[in-house]
Amino acid sequence: MSRLTRYTTSIGRWTARKLTWPRRAVDSARLTVEQVRTGRRTVRDVAKTGASTTGAVALLLVLLFPVYWVLAASLSQGSGLMSSQGIFADPTSYNLEAYRWVLFESSFTYAAVNSLIVVSITVLVSMSVIIPGAYALSRREFLGRRGILYGYVLFTQVGAGLSIATLIALYALFVNFGLDNNLLVLGVFYAAGAIPFNTWLLKTFMDNIPVSYEEAAIIDGASQWQVIREIILPLSKPGIAVVLVFTFLAGWNEFVIAQTLLQSHNYTLSVELYSLIAGGGYETPWTEFSAFAILFALPVAIIYFLAQSYVEDGLSFGGMSG
Amino acid sequence: MSSSLRNRVVGHGRKRLPFDVDSVGLTGLLLVAPGAVLFLSFMLFPIAFLVYLSFTDATHAGTVLGGEASMIGFENYIELFTDPQFWQSFGVTWLFLAVSLAIKVVLATGIAMILTHARVLGKRFMRALVIVPMGFPAIFVITVWEGMFSGARYGPLNQIAGTYNSIVSGLVGLLDSLLFFVTISAPELLLADIPIQWLSGRWSAFAAYIITEVWLAYPFIVIIIVSALQDVPMDLHDAAKVDGAGYVHRFFNVTLPAIKRPVLFASILTAATSFQQFLIPFIFNGGGPSRQNELLILYGYREAIELHEYAFASAIMVTAIAFIGMFMWLAVKKGNLAEGIDS
Repeated sequence: MSRLTRYTTSIGRWTARKLTWPRRAVDSARLTVEQVRTGRRTVRDVAKTGASTTGAVALLLVLLFPVYWVLAASLSQGSGLMSSQGIFADPTSYNLEAYRWVLFESSFTYAAVNSLIVVSITVLVSMSVIIPGAYALSRREFLGRRGILYGYVLFTQVGAGLSIATLIALYALFVNFGLDNNLLVLGVFYAAGAIPFNTWLLKTFMDNIPVSYEEAAIIDGASQWQVIREIILPLSKPGIAVVLVFTFLAGWNEFVIAQTLLQSHNYTLSVELYSLIAGGGYETPWTEFSAFAILFALPVAIIYFLAQSYVEDGLSFGGMSG
Repeated sequence: MSSSLRNRVVGHGRKRLPFDVDSVGLTGLLLVAPGAVLFLSFMLFPIAFLVYLSFTDATHAGTVLGGEASMIGFENYIELFTDPQFWQSFGVTWLFLAVSLAIKVVLATGIAMILTHARVLGKRFMRALVIVPMGFPAIFVITVWEGMFSGARYGPLNQIAGTYNSIVSGLVGLLDSLLFFVTISAPELLLADIPIQWLSGRWSAFAAYIITEVWLAYPFIVIIIVSALQDVPMDLHDAAKVDGAGYVHRFFNVTLPAIKRPVLFASILTAATSFQQFLIPFIFNGGGPSRQNELLILYGYREAIELHEYAFASAIMVTAIAFIGMFMWLAVKKGNLAEGIDS
């Protein structure tokens, strides 16, 4: 319970810091006015800053236009987003009708269950091999350690798309063994694909745990297993949480393999999303599609960014920062 | 080789934990084996199988293991390298890679420099927003962009084109009322022909691919360039300013050297992903019109799954994998992958 309170307070503090920016903006604006009046800053200088900031904001708006569009589309059921009223529809006509349709009338919940089945297998299988693997690579010396690490790093950085290149071989093998259209096998396959990156990530995290903790424990008579259980695992909890998120996303986001292997009653969310727009050329239900897409992507995007900042805080990716 | 490797390994072991007595490190090997085996069985084994398939005459997924396929040597490869569709696909893949990479790097460098500039307020907030596309699943991004490129009269980009048209005709109309002695109307050349069927034209579809690919990958490069730019000491800029270096001069002599290596590294990685791009053409228009924009992996996929030329498709995929291997080699040579391993 106390842990829960700790988390809520830290989240609350974070939100408060983020939410007070209008006040800080007003403060700095007031300071600027003061500086101009007393002649410490010229109007020209302030105008330059203003123009640069406006330019940056404009650039941002253009870049993120698709995000605006999908949000606006999902809220514009029946108010003619795809009509002469234009892409900048009247916000007062926004409604949640499309979301209601997705949640209660479409196959969203059914596909979500399929997705969750796949993802839970992916997470279970991958975690059970990633944690021991990362520990061994971080703390043990064995024959072939460098080779395995090297291979993992290679696949982490470049080989993500290899699974599509090998897709046709996989498809042939799965069909012949009767393993296509099987959520279980799909989950295991995603787990296998998630191993290199996540093992590498967790290994880097464990590398940052000082060896002296373990040495001290060994001197005090702890067994190897005790060292793992009492020191390594508790201290790598944040790293394990991040890996959990990434393996979850690996299963949740994947589309190509699922689309090739699964039949309609086993469709996961990503395949179901595609089938919404693959249906008919001009009659694509864009409002429903948008609501579906947002319900599919937004939660994971938020989790992704929380995990991402966590990773960036704790680690520097080997080689990534150049 | 093996003895020096062993020396290195043993030397390494001394720096690590003192209690690992067995020389081969059996415990470590046992701990790491399940993951490695699982990964290899779903990655290396299919690649080996793919190579085998490419030397057979298998046509369907059913004949592949049914014993009906026989070895025919290099015939698939000969057929492949004399197939004009292969060269078409191969060329368009490299063009796609080159154009999208150039735009990505320029755009990302621009964004990164703007969002680290001293005169821009709210940089941190904007930096967090600008990398948002990275958090979305690829299938989400690509289907949303398909919506953007909708050929319908009121598709988003067609509406923007419509706005552009009315601005142009408005300006011409203004000119017309000013020059009362002649009548001019907006020239056809300047106006977009709405509705534009973005995904039905060869080059407009290609441009749509490029825009989507750039949107998918720019956040990654922005992150890398921003972190490189933040490492450049402000003193360096100030010193250059004092010496009278102009903006362009400072860009080439201070900024560029600082971001060159990270950008090169990021370029190799994103180029490798662009080379393997499959989803964008698959979802937008299946590599159309009439297979003109069929990127390499999509070409192989279609030959296998839709056209039932399994062995032929395997030859395509093996060729693609060979190039992907080349990218890996490049990443190892140019990036500092190996440094990370000893840490």
